[in-house]
Amino acid sequence: MRKYFQIFKISFEEEFAYRLNFILWRFRNVLQILFTYFLWSTVYADPTKQIFGYDRGGILTYVFGIIVVRALVLSARAMDISNDIATGDLSNYLIKPINYFKYWFSRDLASKALNFSFAIVEFILLFILLKPPFFLQTNFPILLAFLVSIILAILIYSLILFLISSIPFWIPEIGWGSHFLVTVVIVEALSGSIFPINIFPQLLQSIILATPFPYLIYFPVEVYLGNVTGWALVGGLMTAAAWVGILWFLLKIIWQKGLKAYQAFGR
Amino acid sequence: MYTWVMDRAIIVDSLVKNFEVAQKEPGLMGSFKSLISPKKKIVHALKNISFTVQPGELVGFIGPNGAGKTTTLKTLSGLLYPTGGFVEVLEHNPWDRNPEFLKEISLVMGQKNQLWWDLPAIETFELNRAIYDIPTRIYNENLKELVDLLGIGKLLNTPVRKLSLGQRMRMELTAALLHKPKILFLDEPTIGLDIIAQQKIRDFIYDYNVRYGATILLTSHNMDDLVNLARRVIIINDGHILYDGAFEELISKYAKEKLIKARLSNENNISDLGSIGKIKKLSFPEVVIAVPRSAAAMAASELLQNFPVDDLTIEETPIEEVIRKAFKSEYKK
Repeated sequence: MRKYFQIFKISFEEEFAYRLNFILWRFRNVLQILFTYFLWSTVYADPTKQIFGYDRGGILTYVFGIIVVRALVLSARAMDISNDIATGDLSNYLIKPINYFKYWFSRDLASKALNFSFAIVEFILLFILLKPPFFLQTNFPILLAFLVSIILAILIYSLILFLISSIPFWIPEIGWGSHFLVTVVIVEALSGSIFPINIFPQLLQSIILATPFPYLIYFPVEVYLGNVTGWALVGGLMTAAAWVGILWFLLKIIWQKGLKAYQAFGR
Repeated sequence: MYTWVMDRAIIVDSLVKNFEVAQKEPGLMGSFKSLISPKKKIVHALKNISFTVQPGELVGFIGPNGAGKTTTLKTLSGLLYPTGGFVEVLEHNPWDRNPEFLKEISLVMGQKNQLWWDLPAIETFELNRAIYDIPTRIYNENLKELVDLLGIGKLLNTPVRKLSLGQRMRMELTAALLHKPKILFLDEPTIGLDIIAQQKIRDFIYDYNVRYGATILLTSHNMDDLVNLARRVIIINDGHILYDGAFEELISKYAKEKLIKARLSNENNISDLGSIGKIKKLSFPEVVIAVPRSAAAMAASELLQNFPVDDLTIEETPIEEVIRKAFKSEYKK
């Protein structure tokens, strides 16, 4: 455990070596939140109107919830794995007595911790600035379920990144293309980080809910809002847990094959 | 398995490694073609290699680019999956990457770094301390020793990106040796370094080998590395072992001649020099004559008696030429 804590620590220090980069990244997040906030604030101008099952307070809480959940779930560094494989830097880790995935997971956790602390500050500032109606969840079992859904979301996202980053074992020149498609386009659209999934037609909703993506942002926020309860909550958590299992199993198989194909490039 | 297994740090038997390499024709059309129907070529990097290494040996690998030196080291350290054959290092199959095995080895590649680029090297050292579970007291001892040996005490808190190549290489070595590996794989450890930095690294490797009885496998293009360090050399070419044995024997096997270098005071009898031996170079006042090894002393005294010699030395054939000869004899086969 100590080695992974040390990795956590050094990753934290490294993020500070890139201060400006980090601040710009947070700035981008704030802009995105503002954009989403004003969009929904306009749509829900009338506080008594309900659309897609949300009222003004609900949807704006959803937007504010995204700030925190995004920082916890979508902050990660593991996309750099593809670079490690393509350039042969992976060799540095393979010859050491560490687990490469735990290594990256520790780095992801460091990134999450840092982003989370900034997100809290942004949350407070934006809250004071915009004074939105905000729904404070006080039901303890729901908060517990929210916590579980966040942990599952973190695991799912890390596993998705690990899997996408494994492509260079076979196609070393793939670079950023696959990441852009999956982590930027698909994750942003289907995870609910721009709009809640239940604005889609019913059929499409069911299809999306069967994929791992909505369990990243949409599901945890819905759990927090108290919109998912009872069997729907249990079913959702089970689906998310099942995805963790499926992705983990896939990753194991792919890395077994990938390492055999690995050519330790770079000399 | 074998009764002598314990005497061997490394056993390699009939090792074969093939790579699949994507092929692309030149130009834009070639790029399109490779997109539609990618062509793969099988590269035979190692074709049946066998050797063993005893604990504490320092072995040098020689061979041209693409001969299979680095592939061999990577297979021994568990990075590459062998296509065929048997490999055992410290009684482990490297490919299993057992933590017990990984704690006993280290691989340093002259063109790859493990140091964290934006942080001072000491941070990487601390991280390795945790990764290799090195107790604090031993870590402090090892670090102090390496820092003193390599003279890097003042650079520990400088971000790695601000170090020179030679300084960085010494940091790399420190990072790789903090856990005191029993086996050290060095791939081109002196590449790109100036002569003084090369000498520092070389002295250090020699010292480390003697002091800890560590087994060291080293590849290099730099003949000085091998002349000064390796008592045993393995010459690899095109995936085969051409020669495996003592360095001195390599010279007596392929260097059948010695070179007499003389400086003449005048040009009298200069046309008769051919009677001494094979004239390699003649540009007055310098002359270089190749003579059979056993007849070198005789030839030298003959030269001194019959010609106006100012100065004379007897030298071994340069090692580069010896190795070139070794490769040539292979091509003739």
